[in-house]
Amino acid sequence: MLEVRELVKHYAAPGGETVRAIDGVSMHVDRGELVALYGPSGSGKSTLLKLIAAMLTPDSGAVYVAGRNVSALSARDAAQYRRREMGFVRQEIEVMDGASALDNATLKLLDNRTGWRRARKQVTPLLIELGLKDRLRHRAEQLSVGERQRVLIARALSTKPSLVLADEPTGSLDGERSHEVLRLLTRLCREHEVAMLLVTHDPQAAAYATRVHELRDGRLREYSPERAPALPQS
Amino acid sequence: MRLSNIFHLYRVRLPQRLVQELLAVAGIAVGVALVFASLVANTSLTGSLRQLTSGIVGDARFQLTARGPEGFSDELLARVRALPGVDDAAPVLEARVIVHGPRGQQPLLLVGGDPRFARFGGPLLQPFASDRLAGQRAIGLTAPVAQTVGVTFGGALEIETGAGRVASTLGGRLDAGDIGDLVHSPVAIAPLSYVQAISGLPGRVSRIFVQPLPGRDDEARRGLQRLAGGTLTVADADADVATFQQASMPTNQSTALFSLLAALVGFLFALSAVLLTVPKRRRFIADLRLAGHTPAVVVKVMLFDAVMLGAAGAVIGLLIGDQLSRHLFSSVPGYLGFAFPIGSQRIVDWTSFAAAIAAALVAACIAVLAPIREIFTRRPNEHADASQRPRRASAAFALAGAGCLLGAGVVLLLAPAAALGGMVLMTAALLFLLPLLMQAGVAALGWAGQFVKSAVPALAAMELRSRASRTRMFALAATGAVAVFASVAIGGAHRDLLRGLDTSARQIDANADVWATFPGEPNAFATTPFEVDALDLQRIEAVPGVAAVREYRGEFLDLGDRRTWVLGPPVDADAPIPPRQLADGNVEEATDRIRDGGWITLSEAVADDAGVDVGDWFELPSPNPTRLRVAALTTNLGWPPGAIILNAEDATRAWGTDRPSALQIATEPDADPATVRRALAESIGQSLPVVLETAEERQQRHFAEARAGLERLTQISALVLGAAILAMATAMGGVIWQRRPTLAGLKADGFSQPELWRALLLESGTLLGSGCLAGAIFGLGGQVMLSRALRAVTGFPVFYEPALLIAVAMLAIVLLVALAILAIPGLLAVRVGPEPAPAH
Repeated sequence: MLEVRELVKHYAAPGGETVRAIDGVSMHVDRGELVALYGPSGSGKSTLLKLIAAMLTPDSGAVYVAGRNVSALSARDAAQYRRREMGFVRQEIEVMDGASALDNATLKLLDNRTGWRRARKQVTPLLIELGLKDRLRHRAEQLSVGERQRVLIARALSTKPSLVLADEPTGSLDGERSHEVLRLLTRLCREHEVAMLLVTHDPQAAAYATRVHELRDGRLREYSPERAPALPQS
Repeated sequence: MRLSNIFHLYRVRLPQRLVQELLAVAGIAVGVALVFASLVANTSLTGSLRQLTSGIVGDARFQLTARGPEGFSDELLARVRALPGVDDAAPVLEARVIVHGPRGQQPLLLVGGDPRFARFGGPLLQPFASDRLAGQRAIGLTAPVAQTVGVTFGGALEIETGAGRVASTLGGRLDAGDIGDLVHSPVAIAPLSYVQAISGLPGRVSRIFVQPLPGRDDEARRGLQRLAGGTLTVADADADVATFQQASMPTNQSTALFSLLAALVGFLFALSAVLLTVPKRRRFIADLRLAGHTPAVVVKVMLFDAVMLGAAGAVIGLLIGDQLSRHLFSSVPGYLGFAFPIGSQRIVDWTSFAAAIAAALVAACIAVLAPIREIFTRRPNEHADASQRPRRASAAFALAGAGCLLGAGVVLLLAPAAALGGMVLMTAALLFLLPLLMQAGVAALGWAGQFVKSAVPALAAMELRSRASRTRMFALAATGAVAVFASVAIGGAHRDLLRGLDTSARQIDANADVWATFPGEPNAFATTPFEVDALDLQRIEAVPGVAAVREYRGEFLDLGDRRTWVLGPPVDADAPIPPRQLADGNVEEATDRIRDGGWITLSEAVADDAGVDVGDWFELPSPNPTRLRVAALTTNLGWPPGAIILNAEDATRAWGTDRPSALQIATEPDADPATVRRALAESIGQSLPVVLETAEERQQRHFAEARAGLERLTQISALVLGAAILAMATAMGGVIWQRRPTLAGLKADGFSQPELWRALLLESGTLLGSGCLAGAIFGLGGQVMLSRALRAVTGFPVFYEPALLIAVAMLAIVLLVALAILAIPGLLAVRVGPEPAPAH
């Protein structure tokens, strides 16, 4: 489903130095598979996600989603790709204050063809599936942190994407809520048959993945549990 | 994205930023209100005269007009009608009158016409078409005037003209159905023969309006010019409108300028409020882009935000502006009424609406879209040289500020006529240089902090140095800066002008101990002649305490588009030329020459138009054109189109009349002028159509009229200041309220509630203080610019003196009131409970 080939992205740093954010990364994620990308802060995880999300253009290499090179898309096509084929779950769990859970989850669905009433209808089953049946009309500030994260997951899955990128989705959550969200993502990945790339610097999150890669200094390495804290039993 | 979806997104996001949105709406509304109100005031001013003119002249194209209040013989009418190319012609006699009724009196312009006028289609004189009034010995009043003086149809009233007071009746009551908005004009109508009889001008008319045959305009005009023969004036039928526009230009321009400055304050208020929502808006934009919406969709969503904000601000602003224009800006600058019959009608045309709405939408778009510009331009690889950006930006701002300041200096020195542009440049310079001045303020705070054993200065400086809040802080400081700048510049120039006008009035009025003039506010310049005979003069001289009585002759005379004020002091007047009003020439020599006769003084603008200087000959286009030499150049003596002084004997010859417009009465050295005035009132009060005033009373009246004439500027200045104080206090209050998580964190770090409160006040004081101080300094520059423009361009008597007291007062008022208001939200904010690890 997702194939990353020899991806390179360098930045010019002050003083003329070059930061090798991504330095020849190759990997793949299949449908129904949850792959964890583990790495400490500054290892290039977020840059890699932005490259996969076609929000950045690589210096070399390419990203293929369902066989299509998304690195070469125009800005308009890249937006369309993010909209229809990809979901993004971010670390910050800020949602639109004042808006209901339902309205927060419909953001991706609103376009020229879909009005907000139809969008609400479409996303309701997903929110119910995520356990928010009684919270649909609650405003964002009335939701717990975990509930808000689930709203964002519903938003990411609302267009039935084939690929979901999750950038530190448990970064703002405490231990119990983290596990809850990770269990949920695992289930959704399996049941919705999506390819999911989970970026984390939390070794516990990696325990939920079918495969784990480690990113250090822009390069992909074999994950070594010895270098990370002990993983819990999933 | 569908519009319904965009609206849906707007609606669901609104609750989270309702307060900030309302503040922004309030800011835009303030600007719109002031822009709209001043536009309506200006439009109404010119519009009312335009309506009156077209109400009289209808379809007439030309007019043959007299150069003095005595008019010319109505026998000329037959010769005008016989001119080749002329289709029809109708005469008019206008006279200044006071109408007395049971409930009060009203100064009016009495227009005498005849049935021939109805053919021109002007609504005011249409009643003559049905002979309702023609041939009657009665007058027609507008419904509001009839109500004011308390007279009903057929009721008795008295008309006071220069020839005396006569009994009359109300023969017609004109309401809006008859004459439209003209009901608000200060006019009355009557048959021509009746006006001739009661004003003591039998067989005289003041104008003949002419309708040429189709396609024969030039031929008709040439014929009229031949007939005029240099003693009458041929002009377009609506020439009064152009003359009025010339006279009202300073009022209109200054109102427009200060309204723009007020609108800028409103916009900065809106910007401050919108900036409070930037973090949320930024997150929302990121969400939209992450959700796969294109930048075009994001811009559409943001534009919709702006349109909603602008529309709400425009609607509320128009409602407030409507009320301002009705109740605050409704007064007509009194001095214009001396020479023009200005009505009180409110004229709102579509351009006022369009300009106000456009201003609201532009302000909203700039406020909403400016913050997202940086989001769209930011690229991940730009962070590399981010540290260089602020320094480059500061240098660019400083350069731009210096450039604008230089431009303003050039305007000040070389082109004072471009003062409006100069003020805009100065405002731009203030805004460009403000960041530097703010940095200086923060540096001063840091420097002072080292001498204080307290964390308060350091806490205050911490937030002021934060790059994240820089734009917001700038908007806040700029609000105060622009408001204080405008208030000091306006206040200073206003005071300089008042000082000049007062001096001019004092010197002119001091020429007599007691003045006798035709009554009514429009005759404040003593330009309406009245009849007085030798017997009257003897009776005056016989009053105890009277040493001498002299005749003064004042007029208005049209020189092109300038309706100039002509002063004709008696030859033995103490100071025929107000000494401090001389712009060029020697005052003693010029005074002697004016007394000797054959000499004249011109205000600078009039001399410029005529291309003459001191010593040159000047052809005075009076009823009897007269060549006189220029003795000196003066200021405009407070009358915007300009002033002319010649002695009363020359004036009598030039105007061919022996009717004075004032009697200047000198009292015995030991007599009290007030006592003499009372004795005069008993002796001649009933026989002459005059009001008696001592020099002191007349001066006080003129001082009051000068203040009333500049009232609108004072009102705008006060509104700007009030709006700025509220704007800064509410926006800064919002900033403080949003900072509660940070304050909670600082409390967790052990800072006490009083410390945090003092730090907030110190931070606010430094921020607003540096803005207001910059505004005050630039305001002093603005005062120089405006005073110089008033003096150099319009020729007003302006006595410049730096408005240091005004600057200090404005600075202190804005700062102290804003801080007093801010103390409350500050106190509430620091009561937040301690919370570790806040999101700073």
